[in-house]
Amino acid sequence: MAGSNASSLTSSRLSGRRDPMLQPQFIRSSTFHWTLAVAGVLAVFVIGLFGFIYWSVDNYLITRSDTMIARQLDFIAGLPGERQLAAIDQNLEQDTRGVHYAALFGADGRKIAGNMGQLPPELGTNDIVRNVPIIRTLPTGRQAGVIRAIARKMPGGNTLVIGREVDETREISHVVGQALALGLLPGLCLCLLAGAWLSLRAQKRVEEVNKRVQRIIAGDLRERLPHRNVDEPFSKLAVIVNGMLDEMETMIHALAGVGNDIAHDLRTPLTRARLALERGRTNATTVEQLQKVVDKAITNIDQSLAIITALLRLAEIENSRRSAAFGTVPLHDMLREVCDLYEPIAENKNVDLRAQVKHRLNVLGDRDLLFEAVANLVDNAIKFTPEGGWVGIELERGDNETVMRVTDTGPGISEQEREAVLRRFYRSDKIRNTPGVGLGLNLVAAIVKLHGFRLAIRPGPGGRMEIICPDR
Amino acid sequence: MTKVLLIEDDSETAEEITAELADRGFEVEWSANGIDGLDKARSLRPDAMIVDRLLPGMDGLTVIEALRKDQVRTPVLVLSALGAVDDRVRGLRMGGDDYLTKPFALVELVARIEALLRRPAESRETTLRVGPLELDLIERTAKRGDRVIDLLPREFRLLEYMMQRSDQLLTRAMLLEEVWNYKFVPATNLVDVHMGRLRHKVDGPGEVPMIHNVRGAGFILRTGP
Repeated sequence: MAGSNASSLTSSRLSGRRDPMLQPQFIRSSTFHWTLAVAGVLAVFVIGLFGFIYWSVDNYLITRSDTMIARQLDFIAGLPGERQLAAIDQNLEQDTRGVHYAALFGADGRKIAGNMGQLPPELGTNDIVRNVPIIRTLPTGRQAGVIRAIARKMPGGNTLVIGREVDETREISHVVGQALALGLLPGLCLCLLAGAWLSLRAQKRVEEVNKRVQRIIAGDLRERLPHRNVDEPFSKLAVIVNGMLDEMETMIHALAGVGNDIAHDLRTPLTRARLALERGRTNATTVEQLQKVVDKAITNIDQSLAIITALLRLAEIENSRRSAAFGTVPLHDMLREVCDLYEPIAENKNVDLRAQVKHRLNVLGDRDLLFEAVANLVDNAIKFTPEGGWVGIELERGDNETVMRVTDTGPGISEQEREAVLRRFYRSDKIRNTPGVGLGLNLVAAIVKLHGFRLAIRPGPGGRMEIICPDR
Repeated sequence: MTKVLLIEDDSETAEEITAELADRGFEVEWSANGIDGLDKARSLRPDAMIVDRLLPGMDGLTVIEALRKDQVRTPVLVLSALGAVDDRVRGLRMGGDDYLTKPFALVELVARIEALLRRPAESRETTLRVGPLELDLIERTAKRGDRVIDLLPREFRLLEYMMQRSDQLLTRAMLLEEVWNYKFVPATNLVDVHMGRLRHKVDGPGEVPMIHNVRGAGFILRTGP
């Protein structure tokens, strides 16, 4: 229940079709949000930059104009009395744009010459350039404005004023504003469009992935995620996921095969048991006959149970996280014990079981499981070694590793069969009729894997199995 | 009469176990859940208990733990459908004395209950004797009557274990666990081969056999036929 709820929730979130807010999906996507944020930061930065440019250009122009009017003041003030008036007139005549201001006021404040009505009261006579408000008389009417002006008290008592309108500043702010409008607005629009496009694209890909994943969930195991080139993160992810899907597909197929094998291997003894019981019930005339039938049935049922037990055990080892319970396992002692346990069986079969354990070597692991693994290898080796042969158990040091090796003079495992023997229930055709569950090597492989060791099947002659324990 | 308390929720299994134990001369009390089982364990004071691992009401291990807290030392055999080794270890650590995985043979169950009831006392004896058989634990020598039996160390260990439990049925799984410390029953008839060799040495030609193979169950060491 919970699982189906979660998956429908995910799909509605991904497809957006059932979105009650009816808002375009991309507006809520994080890609779009990020684009918006970046565009905002960029806009603030650009406005700041333009502001700075405006401020510094304005500053520069005002400073230049100030220097200019101060120089003019010096120049005119340096002229003799009558030439001053001519210079003022000349100055104003040369100014075609009407930005220059110049005037000479008498000691009583009366205007002697120039284009300013009166001496602005804010303007001191101390040679400092200031902002001065002014009412200009233009053909269109009177207009208030601000000019930069400087004044100096002349030795004769007159006051000379030189001013200049700095309307360039206004022009500059106009230009800057225009540039901003021309540059920033389209830029921002472009950003938003890119953001929307990116998020739409990402959303489309997510939707595509979702569609395919839904198909996989529905059982189409061959479906894969789309990807273009591997350099793009999304494609890289898709390739990784596809790799995982490949692995899972193989595993699921293997599992299905195992399921069939299990069913077959379980069914055989159960069928035998059923037949025996059925026939016994009808045909047995004495208690002894019935007991014989029942014994036969029990043996077959036990065989089925042994298979189930082995499978459960395999699952237990494969799923276990037992490394917490690992301890130091003295392999030399353990191998001698295995040898001790199997010696009589080997002798009965006229197979020589030899343990060549010279060094005392320890590994970190689970003693019982490792014992079981080696016992399984030895059990197999004895089983497949013909009479008069031998089985050897060796313990050796390799390069940064400890190796347990079980060799025998049996048929060995051919190159083609090496992978197959690790499959569940696999039994070589040569040994179809040897009794056994067919899970022994799986168990060994699972135990070895749990320990982080390696199981190696070496080329013959004879069988050569190694458990390689790398040093930690 | 020896009283055994069985705590098992599956009535069919319980019926079979009860019938088998009754046939063997035990008095069996059955309880279908943990809470009732714990009550009975406290009031009836049984000689041994068989406790299923998973029970309604109260988990089997909790029952054992509660009893052990009350200083009740009754031997307990834990039954479980969980074959996990970790589970077995937990069962034994919680105070269970032995552990049997379902499905099991009734013979195995009875053998283990009898083994629990007749656990050999810690003895300071340095010589074990069963009929004409004599085992010197210090000298590590064995004799049957006057005949010296030459035993390998592993055979000595096996015989020692059997002599401590003479007249008891010892199943293959019990022998593997106790003598060889081997927790898993291998497909190969390991125990039979070892036992065959030991029997060959213990029961000489013309002597009355002492090691008996109980078909489909295990082995018994006894003086009688």
